Order: sequence, then C-alpha cells, then structure tokens
Amino acid sequence: MPAGTISPFYAARRWRNRIWMSLSVVAAAIGLIGLFMILVVLFWQGFSGLSPAVFTQMTPPPGSSGGLLNAIVGSLILTVVGVLVGAPLGLLAGTYLAEYGRHTRLASVVRFINDILLSAPSIVIGLFIYEVVVVPMGHFSAIAGCLALAVLVVPVVLRTTEDMLNLVPNTLREAGAALGMPRSVVIRRISYRAAKAGLVTGVLLAVARISGETAPLLFTALNNQFWSTDLTQPISSLPVVIFQFALSPYKEWQQLAWTGALIITLAVLALSICARALAARGATE
Amino acid sequence: MADQHTVRAYDKDLDLLERRIAEMGGVAEKMVIDAVDALAAGDATLAHQVVGIDPRLDVLQREIEEHAILTIARRQPVAIDLREIVGAIRVAGDLERVGDLAKNIAKRSLKIGVETRAPRAIVGIKHMNDFATELLKDVLDAFAQRDVERARDVWERDAELDALEDSVFRDLLTHMMEDPRNITFCAHLLFCSKNIERIGDHATNIAETVFYLVTGSNLPTDRPHGRQETDIETDARGEF
Amino acid sequence: MNTAVNFNQSAANSKVLVRGLDFYYGATHALKNVSLSLYDGEVTAFIGPSGCGKSTLLRVLNRMYDLYPGQRAEGEVLLDGKNILAPDLDLNLLRSRVGMVFQKPTPFPMTIYENIAFGVRLYEKLPKSEMDGRVESALRRAALWTEVKDKLKASGLSLSGGQQQRLCIARTVAIKPEVILLDEPASALDPISTAKIEELIDELSGDYTIAIVTHNMQQAARVSRYTAFMYLGEMVEFDETNKIFTSPRDKRAQDYVTGRFG
Repeated sequence: MPAGTISPFYAARRWRNRIWMSLSVVAAAIGLIGLFMILVVLFWQGFSGLSPAVFTQMTPPPGSSGGLLNAIVGSLILTVVGVLVGAPLGLLAGTYLAEYGRHTRLASVVRFINDILLSAPSIVIGLFIYEVVVVPMGHFSAIAGCLALAVLVVPVVLRTTEDMLNLVPNTLREAGAALGMPRSVVIRRISYRAAKAGLVTGVLLAVARISGETAPLLFTALNNQFWSTDLTQPISSLPVVIFQFALSPYKEWQQLAWTGALIITLAVLALSICARALAARGATE
Repeated sequence: MADQHTVRAYDKDLDLLERRIAEMGGVAEKMVIDAVDALAAGDATLAHQVVGIDPRLDVLQREIEEHAILTIARRQPVAIDLREIVGAIRVAGDLERVGDLAKNIAKRSLKIGVETRAPRAIVGIKHMNDFATELLKDVLDAFAQRDVERARDVWERDAELDALEDSVFRDLLTHMMEDPRNITFCAHLLFCSKNIERIGDHATNIAETVFYLVTGSNLPTDRPHGRQETDIETDARGEF
Repeated sequence: MNTAVNFNQSAANSKVLVRGLDFYYGATHALKNVSLSLYDGEVTAFIGPSGCGKSTLLRVLNRMYDLYPGQRAEGEVLLDGKNILAPDLDLNLLRSRVGMVFQKPTPFPMTIYENIAFGVRLYEKLPKSEMDGRVESALRRAALWTEVKDKLKASGLSLSGGQQQRLCIARTVAIKPEVILLDEPASALDPISTAKIEELIDELSGDYTIAIVTHNMQQAARVSRYTAFMYLGEMVEFDETNKIFTSPRDKRAQDYVTGRFG
C-alpha cells in the first residue's frame, strides 16, 4: 500500500470506533445531566428554606413554621446506633470468611445469604423487625429502627470487609506466621492494618446507605413530633419526616421537606467523597 | 535429558576447543615423526620443514587459551564443562611443548649435518621415537574418545619408554667410549633421546588430564617408573 | 537409599536432620522419601528445576504448610534431635527458632522500627532503651542500619526492593532464631542488591544455620557449603557444593548444573 492511504478495513474500524465512543459519551452525559438536574432541583427548592431555625427548632404542627432539629438528631441517633450494632457484626463475619473459613461449607452458605440480604428490599427488613421487636414490645421504638438499620448495615460491611481482606496478599500473613505470630495477632495487627482504608470505606458506604432509608423506619421507629432521645420510644427521622411533610398540603411542611431532602443529599455526598478520598489514600500506600 | 546444552552456542564453543586440540595433535604428531626421520636420514629439507611449522602450534595454543578464557567468562562453566575447558588448556600446553621438543630435535639434526655418524646409535633413537609417537597417538585418541582405560594404559606404558631411554643412554656411552670421534655425534643424540623421553612425559600429562576430565579425580602421583641409574632428582613426572 | 546422597545420618553437628520425608498436597505426592542434613552453622542450598519440590521441602522445615488444610507431611524432621512433625508441637515456638524470608519482600504496614520491634515483642518484654538496641543490632546485622537510621519512623513500604528484603531479614534475625530459611530471597532484586544479600548470608553463616532455595545456580555455588539437588520430588544428590559443581556423581545433577536441562 502506498504510504499515506488507509485500507478500507481500517477506515471502517475507525468509524465504528468513533460511533461507539460517541454513544458512550452520550450515555455518560445523560447520566450526569440527570444527576445534575436532581441536585439543581434540590438546591433550588431546598436552599431557600435553609436557615438557622431549621437546625434549632422542632418539627412544627401543620400550618406553623419550625425546624427539623428532632428529625436531624433522630436520624443521627438511628444511624450511629445502627452502625454501632451492625458494623462489628459485619466486620467479624467478613473476617471469618476471609481469614478462617475461606473454603468451608459454612463460609459459602454465609456468603450466599449475605448476597441475598444485600439486595433485599428494605421494607421487608422493616416488616421483619416489626414482627420481632415492635409487636412484643407493644409499641414502636427507636431501638427497633436501629435494629432494622443494623440489619441493612451488616451485608454491606461484611462484603467489603471480606473483599478488602482478600486483597491482602497471603505472603504478608505467611511472613507474620513465620515470626511465630498467633493467628489472631496476624489478623489484628497485619491484615486489618493492611486493609484499614478499605475497611473504613466499607463502613462509610454502609452509613451512606442507611442514612437515607425510609421504608424500614416506617414500621419500626415510626415518627415523633416532639423532641425525644429515649430509645424505647418512637423517634423522629429525616426520611420519615420528608415522607410525611411532602405528601401534606401545607406550604411550610412542604418547604421543610425540600430542605430536609437537601440536607440528607449533602450529607450522603460528603460521606461518599470521604470514602473515596480514604480509598485513594489507601491505594497509594 | 539431552547431552546438548540448552543454549546451543555453548556446545559450539566447546566443539571449537575440541577441533583445535585435534589440529594441534595432528601437527605435533607429524613433527615428532618427521624430526627423527630428518635426523636419521640427514635430511635438511625435512628438518627445516619441522622447524618452520612450529609457529603454527604456538598460534593454536594461544587461540585455544583465549577461547577457553572467553568461554569461562561467558558461560560460567561447572562440573564436566569446566573440566573439559581446563583439560583443553592443559593439553594445548603439553602439545605446544611437544612441538618445541620436536623442533629442537630437528634443529639438532641440522647441526649434526654430514658429520661422522654411527648408524647403530640411530637405531635406538628411532625405536624410542616410534614408541613415543605411538604413546602420543594413543593418548590423543584417548582424549578424543574420552577413554579412561586407554589413557591409563598410556600412562603406564611410559615406563617402558623410560627403560628404553636408559638403554639408549648406555648404548651411546659405549659408542663414545669405543671411538672418541663419535663423541660429538653421540652427545647430540643424548640430547635427542632426552627430548624424546620428555615427549613421552608430556603424553602421560595428557593421559592424566584425560583421567581428570572424565572422572573428576587424579591418577596417583607415583607413576610406575622405568629407570634406575639415571634417576637424578627428578620429580614425579620425570622432568628435571 | 540413593547412593548419591552423601551424609552421615547420625552426625553430631547436624542441626536439622530430615529422614524419609514424604509430603502430600491433597493426593499429589510431592516429596518422596527425602533425606538430608542441615549442618550447624553452615549454608545449604536447594537447587533443581521448577516443580522439583525444593520450596515445598523448605516450607516443611518450619511447618508453614500447616496454614493450609489438605497439605500433610510424614516422616521425621529432627531439630536438635526432636521431631518437629509431631502433632502436639508448639508451632509458634518452632517458628521463633526457625525463621523464614520469602521471595517477595513483605514489610509489614508499619514503621521500620515497628517492623522489627513487633516480632521481638511477641516473645520478650523489653524497656524502650533495650528495644532500641535490639532494633539497631538487627538492622546492623542486615547491613541496613546506615541507610535507615535517620528514618526509623518511615513506613517500611517506603524502602526500595533490596532494602525491603534486608528489612525482612533484619526482622527475622531480631528474634534470634537458630535456623534461617531463605526462599529465593534475591530473585526479585537487581544484581547489586543480590550481591548485598549474598554478602549478608556469608556474614550470618556461622552464627545461624541457613537453608536457601535458589533458581540461580551460580548463586548456590557462591553462597553455600552444601548443595542438595532435587528432581521430581526426590533428593537426587546431596553433597558438598564444591563436589557438586566440579564432579557431581549423578548424571541428572550434572545435566542440570551444566545447563543441559531444566
């Protein structure tokens, strides 16, 4: 072929390449635009409602103005306790799967069930906790809500823990064993330390996941119009409040719903960014 | 499990050494035969030929050494390969000395020229040389075949050459005592017989090298000797 | 018994004596009736083509295979006369006496100081000044002290490959083992680091009994006093290194060291 001319095969390939590239870019753009639009709408509607009052006053009765303080505090409590209960479980179970029982029957069964739980509808979880906790207790409570969230946390943390620990090279464990280190010391001081960034990322992802869950809370923590930090009583939470206020005809409530949605979105965004930053730092070590 | 190296060029390197040794051996053998032929027949042309071909042996020896050193540097030889290369260096050295000894015999034959000759004396020398030539040929065959038994045989037969040298020595002494005009001639022949005996010693060196090459150990240091009276401060190889 | 295996079964200066060792990966018979001796204070090299079992043999000596189910060893491995294959043996104690350095450098995700102190703390409770001294002497022994003495708080992972490997060696000698097992310690390193490691092995021998698995025959010839040639799970020839590299007795050994196969 004389230099400078391109064979027809190569030209066709180049065209196909361009078409596919363009399709990918368009798809990405659509996704980004969608995301962008959500954020824009949220900001548009919710930003005007942001004021110190939102963070200092309780949820108001219909018709009057107020804040979201009890809902924010309630969400915080539910999330924190939920993670405190669920993350250690997930961590230890993930450790078992990665370190002790890699090829055992029990491990395969646990992994299988975990994958199912991971994508189980959260409302089902809520109903389960309702039967198991709310009914015997006789009333709704924050504790039930925490437990429901914990059940959602466990699969996420278990999965990431197992994956991150599996990434720790076996030679590192052998090096520890070669010094005469007992198994538990190898896991605690070496495996965990090596996978530290990944493990924390997993927990952060779980937190991001549950902070926006509404359905399970409907049957467990219910809601509370007033200030309450009593774990045995129903407790307010942002998602439920948004649910309630958005469906109402009251202007002030609707505005608070938008503001609440904005707050949740920003919180989840911040958590995800933290998780990303940690993961990146972990990768470069 | 092949007998060839995974890296074929290595085999080529070793083959080259082999071929050069064979060439040296051929040249040396011819020199030894021709030198004494020239001596016996008083053939100056032949003697000049022998002297003229000696530089070839020097060149070959240097080539072999250089090539051996390069092979060591490049291939880091061990075990049998290492012994082969060391063996090649040693044999090349021995063959070069054999060539020098033959050349000296040839030069002496030129010096003797057409002086008074005692043909009977030559017979002994010729006999010695035939024996030495056979030793050399056999040991070079043993080297080419890596034949330990044959090498050992040569190593032992050298004793006979030593014995021959003894009898030639006595013979020449008798000649010199019979007729003083023979002294110059017989004196030259004495040196020639010594040279031939040394050719035999070099043949045993080569035999020892063959033994080491194949087995990795050495022949005993005390080789059976064939001489008694002329033993003056010689070492185990019979060299002064 | 293979006649090319040359050692005295009851030699008094035998630090580790292996007798009739068989090893199985599940159903695969990986080591067949292996016998050899690691002499006190000497360096022994294990050589052989890939898959011959030399790494497997090395890992039996500190029962590293115990970490993996389905791998088992039968026979006798005597460390100072006591069989380490006994099921009731304290593995951690064994591994404090028999240390191991791996092919890929494996510094722990900690500071350089901690990498070394960590192992020591498993066995001894030392005040800080003594621990400092121990860390320093271990790093000196590994010829690493001058290069890291100003950055002991830096992460172990910030060192170069050769330095990391020397750190692993320092970590191993810090707990004062009696035997050191080296599994191709220099195969991932550049020639200069390799030379430093070889020099290190030279210095350590005498105080420690060393076994080294290596693919590099010239390295085996350089550092070891005894060499074991293995093939397909069998101990084919075990003798002084000088002998194996000048006139080995077994043809397979000869073919391997001269590069005719493997």
